[in-house]
Amino acid sequence: MLKFAFKNMAIKKVQIILIIVSIVISAGVGVLSFNVSEQVSEGLTNNAGYYSAIIGPSGSATQLAMNTMYFTDEPVGTIPYSLVSELAQDNRVTEAIPFAMADNYNGFSVVGTTPAFLSAKTVAQGNMFDQTKTFQAVVGSKVAELNDLKIGDKLYTSHSASGDDKHATPLTVVGILEESHSGFDKIVFTQLKTIWQAHDHGDEGEHDEAAVGVDMLSADTNEQNGNVHETPDHGGHENNGHEDEGEHEGEAHGQTVCAILIKTVNPTYAMSIVNEYDGRVYMHGDESYSLQAIEPMDTMRGVLEETDNTKYIVFVLCAIILIMNIIIISIITLLNMYHSAKEISLMRLIGISMKKINMLYLIQNSIIGLISTALAFGVSRACLLLMSDYVESMGAVLNMAKVYPLEILILVAVFLISVIPTVICTMVMSKKDGINN
Amino acid sequence: MICIKGVSKHFQNERAINYKDMVFEDGKSYMLLGASGCGKSTLLNMIAGILSTDSGEIIIDGVNMSERNQKEKDKFRINNIGYIFQDFKLIPEMSVMDNIDILKLERVDTSMAGEMLKKLEMYDKRNKKVKHLSGGEKQRVAIARAIVKMPDIILADEPTGNLNFEIGEAVIKQLVEISKGKTLIAVTHDERLGKYFDVTIDMNTMIGGGENA
Repeated sequence: MLKFAFKNMAIKKVQIILIIVSIVISAGVGVLSFNVSEQVSEGLTNNAGYYSAIIGPSGSATQLAMNTMYFTDEPVGTIPYSLVSELAQDNRVTEAIPFAMADNYNGFSVVGTTPAFLSAKTVAQGNMFDQTKTFQAVVGSKVAELNDLKIGDKLYTSHSASGDDKHATPLTVVGILEESHSGFDKIVFTQLKTIWQAHDHGDEGEHDEAAVGVDMLSADTNEQNGNVHETPDHGGHENNGHEDEGEHEGEAHGQTVCAILIKTVNPTYAMSIVNEYDGRVYMHGDESYSLQAIEPMDTMRGVLEETDNTKYIVFVLCAIILIMNIIIISIITLLNMYHSAKEISLMRLIGISMKKINMLYLIQNSIIGLISTALAFGVSRACLLLMSDYVESMGAVLNMAKVYPLEILILVAVFLISVIPTVICTMVMSKKDGINN
Repeated sequence: MICIKGVSKHFQNERAINYKDMVFEDGKSYMLLGASGCGKSTLLNMIAGILSTDSGEIIIDGVNMSERNQKEKDKFRINNIGYIFQDFKLIPEMSVMDNIDILKLERVDTSMAGEMLKKLEMYDKRNKKVKHLSGGEKQRVAIARAIVKMPDIILADEPTGNLNFEIGEAVIKQLVEISKGKTLIAVTHDERLGKYFDVTIDMNTMIGGGENA
């Protein structure tokens, strides 16, 4: 029966290819849009609730949240490191984590922070970088995979995307993070002091623009904000593993960070910190910094509302495509069955029972349905791969292996849609049984 | 043995055919001659269970076919009757072999297909699509499909209707030869082919009552 079904399908290959293409497009788009919207939403919300507040330079709240939690976009600017110490002593704060993003390694951003920033992540190989040392790196799983990095390897970071202004002192890989299907997979993490030292003029005098690093960025941004911020000159460390003088060295040298991620004792304190710091002008020496403070959940809720609207539009479009396809598939199947009427009457005349004929057509359409849904799933995964770079810019890494129950439901529904018209047609034909006509 | 007793058939145009009683003996070949519309093909279709009778009985080997339902008639036809159609009833897009293998859907043994095609000089073309065959070749394929299951009864509805005389005669010779020992009932317009059959029945005389010799 199966062999004959395949032979019979081969006769009608053009019609069958049209049906399959039609189903693959509708089901593929449906499954893909659902998967992407879910993964993006999950990716954004997973991190949003982790910190109570974020303090950074005044500017775009979304940019501040996206940059610090998802490593997208450029930092808004910089604020003095001394603010970290101030917040760390605040009774409302349980943790104040500095965040600085300045360089890149082969296009992967370098983030200077403390091990606390990675406390929720697992180091799969090696160890976390030592806060008392410098020029150590813990790399994301994708960074390691794509650059074939192992523990002990040296990384030469650069300030520009072109990579032709590499810093003289390399970072040593001391740890590789476990894959988390998040932005963390594509980041190089190091001590905050490493970022500062890498941009020290004494370390690499040959490229002035790169040397100012974080500070130059802060100068640009703060000029826009009406602030004056001169790039300080620092004495640098020369060697990897060099013992550090203390956590507040940066403060002493007037160093800066891009943002401070804060965990508070309770949510009320987060609100009070935001109210206190948002819009505040912070004085550090002779320099003034205009601050903004955000509650990341609130900021991301705004972003997600836009995503939800987009998701709704995509679902409506998918529903329309699916309905159109139900109609198209039904018409194609009906025409197919109409053209098959001669073939069916032939089989009836030579003695093939209607039951066997029904079974034959059911098998044929089930095969078409199975091939179509499998292809639709495959196409959706291939599209996920193609879309992953774009979606990463939104702060989420697409996991091709992630399958949602609703996706299975969509595919089952599409399979049934492809088979039901045949069942109806054959049932109608069974009742008529054209042998006497 | 096939017995036709008081069979009549009404058509939608209110025309009715009343058949005289007839008996077709086992192992003999019969040629049914007659004008168009005299009921030759209708009789074959009723024997095969494709059409039902309106009255009377068709008894095959002691079993009254008129009392059987369509499912039973289908089963009887697939197992015991080889039917050769005037317009071949082959699937043009499929190969010769696939057109015979279609019987496997009803678990019919088609292992004799190769041998049958050899006898009908069609073995070399077994993998050719039917649409690329000539009329005579198609009729041979239809014969092979009807005979391959080794049925007791072979019904042929104008098997030479679409063929010229020379090819038609060759096909009839092969059909009679291959059907030896079986009951063969063939409908044809061409009296010249009568010499190949044991019995020739003029259907014009079999309408209206009575029994054939």
